[in-house]
Amino acid sequence: MTFYLLKRLAVLLAGIAVAAVVVFAFMSLLPGDPAEIALGVNATPEAVAALREQFGTDRPPVVQFLDWSGGLLQGDFGTSYVTSSPIGPQIGDRLGVTAVLVLGGMAVALVLAVPLGTFAAVHHRDPLGAVISAASQVGIAVPAFLAGILLVYVFAVQAQALPSGGYVPFAEDPGEWLRGLLLPWASLGLVQGAVLTRYVRSAVLDVMREDYLRTARAKGRGSTGALWRHGLRNASVPVVTVLGLQLATLLIGAVVVERVFVIPGLGDLLLNGVAGRDLLLVQGVVMVLVAAVLLINFVVDVAYHLLDPRLLR
Amino acid sequence: MSTLKVEGLSVRAGALELVREVSFAIAPGERVGLIGESGSGKSLTALSLMGLLPEDVTASGTARLGGRDLVGVPESRVKDLRGREVSMVFQEPMTALNPLMRVGAQVAEVMTLHGTPRHDARERAVALLDRVRLPEPAQVARAYPHQLSGGQRQRVMLAIALANGPGLLICDEPTTALDVTVQKQMLELIDEVAPALLFITHDLAVVASVCERVLVMYGGRVVESGPIREVFTRPRHRYTEGLLAASRLTPRGTRLPTIQGSVPPAGRFPGGCVFRNRCPHATPTCEAAPALTGEGHAFACWHPAG
Repeated sequence: MTFYLLKRLAVLLAGIAVAAVVVFAFMSLLPGDPAEIALGVNATPEAVAALREQFGTDRPPVVQFLDWSGGLLQGDFGTSYVTSSPIGPQIGDRLGVTAVLVLGGMAVALVLAVPLGTFAAVHHRDPLGAVISAASQVGIAVPAFLAGILLVYVFAVQAQALPSGGYVPFAEDPGEWLRGLLLPWASLGLVQGAVLTRYVRSAVLDVMREDYLRTARAKGRGSTGALWRHGLRNASVPVVTVLGLQLATLLIGAVVVERVFVIPGLGDLLLNGVAGRDLLLVQGVVMVLVAAVLLINFVVDVAYHLLDPRLLR
Repeated sequence: MSTLKVEGLSVRAGALELVREVSFAIAPGERVGLIGESGSGKSLTALSLMGLLPEDVTASGTARLGGRDLVGVPESRVKDLRGREVSMVFQEPMTALNPLMRVGAQVAEVMTLHGTPRHDARERAVALLDRVRLPEPAQVARAYPHQLSGGQRQRVMLAIALANGPGLLICDEPTTALDVTVQKQMLELIDEVAPALLFITHDLAVVASVCERVLVMYGGRVVESGPIREVFTRPRHRYTEGLLAASRLTPRGTRLPTIQGSVPPAGRFPGGCVFRNRCPHATPTCEAAPALTGEGHAFACWHPAG
């Protein structure tokens, strides 16, 4: 296990390094010189050259990359060309908000999908099981932002029970913080939960046909007990795969949902950066998102190996 | 006083009758073989005794084990018998164990389920693994199933089956999936440790080596039953006769004797005597179903051999 962990960790770090190169290369290829943008169309060539020197964008790309990536290692994302403020702290603040949003959405999805999917599998011959299947099908067809808008309409506009948007930091007022996040969590979680329900259902159905479940019943367990004790962990192996993919999707989905609910997360920061042509900021946010996805994959792979002893040989 | 008494056991899947009116008894300590080709209803008979039939298959009739009903009662009332009074070893050892659980825990589970304290169960699990002659039982207990061979896994299944000292052990082709050398060791082990035994196989030599009495099934019915020596040396039912002829070694160059035709799919057996469409001795009389008659050595045939 230790050897596997070290190997997988090396792959993760290599992945992040490659991602840094690719992100930097793409951003460098984008047209638009930060110094020209900052000074506007009427700037003299001398002024532009001076600002370039100040930004450091007159240096060769390789030097710029080493400077930037070296800073990343120390948590320094550089200083914005547009606002002249350091980027690192901004990303740090926003990352926390997005993480809470994504993990909360995932929790909603799991809390929905595991019981519903299992129930649908156990009752796959009953009408109720079919209803759950059909409902999850509808859920899959609805994009998260649309679910968000519908939820806002019902709970915020009609019922006036929850705020339609905005974000109160936890430290300021935990109650308001929670109220503000309920709808965003629901809009992310409902859709992912629908997708996950179908995967849980088919994984449990597969496991129900396994011989070892019959063995468990031959030992004296009832069919429910056998499924609980021997089935669910086995079913969780394929579900974890989907969970990892979904976390990555949720991270991207959060960018849109943050817009709908006016939440100051990474997505909001990214869109602001793009609108303000703040290239270094965009570069930093994209890097963090890519690294997060790689990290999720790492965690999923390790989780597999903890769940399934057959993978460790 | 018999350990198991089965009377008029029938198994149905919807309108299809897969096992019909099977009756037999197993005395304490007795070893009974159940033989027949694939599709004759052997496994269904065993599974209905364990209450482990597939979802859409139902059993009727009676089967009593030490005064408790096994058939036609809800699962909640028979599950405390399973693994305690009656145990089963299945055909396929490779898939019968939970791949994510250590072997020792799977053996201990059957004991904790029936009331043994957790700590005692762990200790006894190792002792049981030793009893089924697994080398280094403590190490095996910590292993996962994929680290064991097929033969070793089947021994683990046997350890699970024996854990609570059941009165009856059912083995459904326990050696079919194993190598020939491992088969022999497994049979010797079953022979040594089994309480009363219902042993299902299509291998006549295996039955002869383990059992005292045999039931021959064809088309979902018991067509002949009796002490093994008598049935094998002097078969009366024409199907048993064909089965024995087909398993006998023949001189080089001669044709292998077979039973003509093949086993019909479920529900396509003829009325009356189920064997009559393949039987060389069939006459119009056979359109009526023969009853299983005879004390000791019984058979259901209008034109018996010998």
